[in-house]
Amino acid sequence: MKKIIVIIFLLTISLPLSAQKNPGKDHAKSNVNCKTCHVCDVPTKDDPCLVQCPREKMKTVYESPDKTVDVVSLDELSKKYLPVTFSHRVHAQMSVLSGGCGTCHHYNTSGPIQPCKNCHQTSRKRDDISKPDLEAAYHRQCITCHREWSHGTSCNSCHNLKTTNKEYQKEEVKKKVKGKVHPALIEPAKIVFETKYEKGKMVTFFHDDHTKKFKIDCTSCHKNETCLKCHDVNKTSNEKSKIIRAQKSLDEHHKKCFSCHKEDKCESCHLGKPSEHFDHKKRTGWVLNKFHDELSCAKCHGSKIPYSKLDTKCVNCHKGWNIENFKHTITGLQLDETHAQLNCEDCHEEKNFAVKPVCSNCHENFIYPRQKPGKMVRTK
Amino acid sequence: MNHEEINPVPIKHKYFTPGVFILLIIALNGLIFLMGRFFFGLGSVTNLNDQYPWGLWIGVDVAAGVALAAGGFTTAALGHVMHKEEYNAIIRPALLTAMLGYTFVAMGVFVDIGRWYFIWHPLIMWNGSSALFEVGICVMIYMSVLYIEFLPIVTERFIGKVKLPGFLSGLNNFVDKLLRLLDNGLSKTMFIFIIAGVVLSTLHQSSLGTLMVIAGPKMHPLWQTPILPLLFLLSAISVGFPMVIFESLLASRSLGLKPEMHVLSKLGSMIAPILGIYLAFKLGDMFIRESFVYLKEFNTVSVLFSIEILFGVIIPLRMFLSHKVLKSPLFLFIASALVVFGVLLNRINNFVVAYNPPYSTQSYFPSFGEISVTIGFAAILILVYRFIVLNFPVISLPGLRTAQPTKYTIKGAKK
Amino acid sequence: MPGKSRRDFLKTTAVIGAGVAGLSSSTAKAAPKNILSEDRMGVLVDTTVCVGCRNCEWACKTAHDLPAGELHSYEDRSVFTEKRRPGTKALTVVNEYSSGKNSNLPLDVKVQCMHCDHPACVSACIVGAFSKEENGSVIWDTDKCIGCRYCMAACPFQVPAFEYDKAINPSIMKCDFCFNRTKEGKLPACVAICPVEALTYGTRTELVKIARERIKRNPDKYVDHIFGEYEVGGTAWMYLSSKDFSELDFPKLGTNPAPGVSESIQHGIFAYFVPPVSLYALLGGIMWISKHRKELDEEGKL
Repeated sequence: MKKIIVIIFLLTISLPLSAQKNPGKDHAKSNVNCKTCHVCDVPTKDDPCLVQCPREKMKTVYESPDKTVDVVSLDELSKKYLPVTFSHRVHAQMSVLSGGCGTCHHYNTSGPIQPCKNCHQTSRKRDDISKPDLEAAYHRQCITCHREWSHGTSCNSCHNLKTTNKEYQKEEVKKKVKGKVHPALIEPAKIVFETKYEKGKMVTFFHDDHTKKFKIDCTSCHKNETCLKCHDVNKTSNEKSKIIRAQKSLDEHHKKCFSCHKEDKCESCHLGKPSEHFDHKKRTGWVLNKFHDELSCAKCHGSKIPYSKLDTKCVNCHKGWNIENFKHTITGLQLDETHAQLNCEDCHEEKNFAVKPVCSNCHENFIYPRQKPGKMVRTK
Repeated sequence: MNHEEINPVPIKHKYFTPGVFILLIIALNGLIFLMGRFFFGLGSVTNLNDQYPWGLWIGVDVAAGVALAAGGFTTAALGHVMHKEEYNAIIRPALLTAMLGYTFVAMGVFVDIGRWYFIWHPLIMWNGSSALFEVGICVMIYMSVLYIEFLPIVTERFIGKVKLPGFLSGLNNFVDKLLRLLDNGLSKTMFIFIIAGVVLSTLHQSSLGTLMVIAGPKMHPLWQTPILPLLFLLSAISVGFPMVIFESLLASRSLGLKPEMHVLSKLGSMIAPILGIYLAFKLGDMFIRESFVYLKEFNTVSVLFSIEILFGVIIPLRMFLSHKVLKSPLFLFIASALVVFGVLLNRINNFVVAYNPPYSTQSYFPSFGEISVTIGFAAILILVYRFIVLNFPVISLPGLRTAQPTKYTIKGAKK
Repeated sequence: MPGKSRRDFLKTTAVIGAGVAGLSSSTAKAAPKNILSEDRMGVLVDTTVCVGCRNCEWACKTAHDLPAGELHSYEDRSVFTEKRRPGTKALTVVNEYSSGKNSNLPLDVKVQCMHCDHPACVSACIVGAFSKEENGSVIWDTDKCIGCRYCMAACPFQVPAFEYDKAINPSIMKCDFCFNRTKEGKLPACVAICPVEALTYGTRTELVKIARERIKRNPDKYVDHIFGEYEVGGTAWMYLSSKDFSELDFPKLGTNPAPGVSESIQHGIFAYFVPPVSLYALLGGIMWISKHRKELDEEGKL
């Protein structure tokens, strides 16, 4: 057993490391600037001239947002304005649903997070104009989102002019952003969409079923959300997003649902009335008993989403069960002494435990469940 | 002699008539707006803006002005170069119209350009690739040539009649000798200027067409074509004689003279073939470029193009083919006026109507001030013309013909 | 005329011919500069990067001594409700367009002189007041201009503007690519101020390469078209967009230089002054022959 643990441990460590060492055959075609990882112009297999990584204490783009640095002072360029105090953690938390750290710390996937100025030169008059200069790089990261929800490009939403009481202002700004965390997102229980689909206008989406019951990761649906999804200075933004929604094509509309519900018929979601919460019995025909009900979906269906369909054989999950160690009591029926002696297939024909057991093999005129081979220990 | 000799004389007629007073008022009105332009800038008088840099003044005063002054070089080519002496009677009036026409073209340019005091710049600052430069230089030289061509009329008027007032009368003899010397020198070299005049006209009449070629897609495809210079030249040639007929009939009417129908009819009979060639090129171009598709739409552009072709070319072409028209002063006048109108409209169409800038927010229509200045200039031109024919030997009177040899000949032709 | 020979006529013609030839050679000397240097500069405008802050408008006015006002007054986005054009009071303006389906972000397009490689204004100007400079700028010379506004009629992008309200020395106003700043080694004012560097300043050759690279890396983001790479023979200012350029009010233009047809006609008519001189000689010939024939006729009759 110890051996297995050691192997698993080694595997988990070495996997990301090996990913760093060998990013794949076709990685030259990927959307990553070569200079991110390679120092020289023409890296070869023998001499890949990789950028040195300090592997211990390495901060990468996979860092948990809550553990990142709280406030960053952007002061490399402050000429006219005071350094910009950037509430890094709040932004990192927001980034979770909109692309992650890599949205800003781009081209950083394989190594430690690089300071922006490693690539972005500080002067606009420069040799390498293929990348924006530092000022532009900062501004692009900020303004692109900020103007989306503020509908403006006002400088003083981030910048404070240099004035005499510099220190005071600096402290004020820091106070404002220090220790700030993004409030927890309020998750909707269900959303009812009214659609134009004639055979069933209503689609009820149980958000809580998906997150709490099916334990689907937020990011598997909300990968690239715009800031506008939550933030907008205009109150009328809801109408706006409706308009945008109306312009979407059929595929775009269904994209998020289809990533799992690809095989479903239209009518399984499009109903004439609001539907009800997910019911394992109704949807699959398999009643979850007390024990099964408490399990997470993944326990039986595996971690791969969409969950795959299982058949009703107990041994699919309960692989270790056999005639010796199976306690019939857990089904709710305690077998009496006579029946406890029998083989499983004497009552459960062909070892099919999903169908009703037969009594006719031994008894005449005995029919389950009127006659039971023992006593019920609990009611379902 | 198988041709009639001519005897141009100053016409004896009073200058002021009610019509002249009306013209004076129109002229004065134009001059008032002109002052506004010089004191407060082009924007104060015109409807021009950054979308429409050229308007009525360029379209009518300059482009149409140059075209309608084509009578000068076409009659010169006919009378002097081809030596058809029977047309000599109309050469001088045509020359005068051309001279005045070009003078007012120059005036039109002068008031239209933003920095009028730099109008001489093209003389020393050259841009060989510019069609406008070529037009400018040719017009300048041709205008000088026209003045030189007109000089003998002045010398003829004064030779032997120099009467300077008061104490200057002592110089009478000297001035007379100077005039005779000038006249002599001119008559020996005049052929140079006459040919130069025709060459220069051919050049700038066509280059005037090249002007708008560079506007490319900004110009409506009904008019925009690489053969614009050819079309401009052909239309200028075809409007030359009609313009001469038009003003000759107008002048004889106004001055109470008998129209010289025998010359004008003969002149008229030559118009139809020229118009025919112009029409052939115009329609041929339209069919090759398939621009006729734009005529299917009913809008200002298509209507104006149709009017230009129908009333300006096809109808007068048919009229000039008729003997009845050629013999009747009224019909001849109408047919000529139609051609004049057609070319005038063509120039307006080319420079104003067809011009459609990509970012236009409103369309251009000339302001009252612009129209005032344009018709004011026309009025002044008529007044000056009237003054000159009353005081200089320009118009030949029929019936008063005495023997006079053709003045300008090529040297060496005579044995 | 008696006593004159045909040689006189020929001599006179020769003198005129020589004069004309003299004119043509000096034309070549005085023609405006139209240099197409290998490493002429340009600007790549990425409309997908531009945020419409209009700082460039302010910087441009300040650099050209035009009344500019306070920088923060340019944060007013209500100007975007209508499409503006560069004029005498602003040599560059930014217009905003909806980017369409896939984004909430609008597209902002800065408009100014494109600084064509084969500028129509340079070709058209009657006095050669415009010139294409070695560094790519198309500039205007106030000492030459006569205010005829032919440049405005010729420009395919409808850029030059004219001070119609001035009675004395009205100027043609257009972006001069900050010729005075670049001469001193500075960046054009708009490029220097752009907070997001939506305007990349560099040699035209390199900018085309960069633009191609951007399209290649983000084929979903950009339309595969660099506006200005080939339009009217190429322009110094080039644009990238996520939307078809016709939807951003860019004129649809061919790849032939704007002055191409006009210039070939001009040069055809004036090919070393051969056509005019030939016409002159031809007309002289006709004049001589018709006169001669007339006299023969008359002699015959007499």
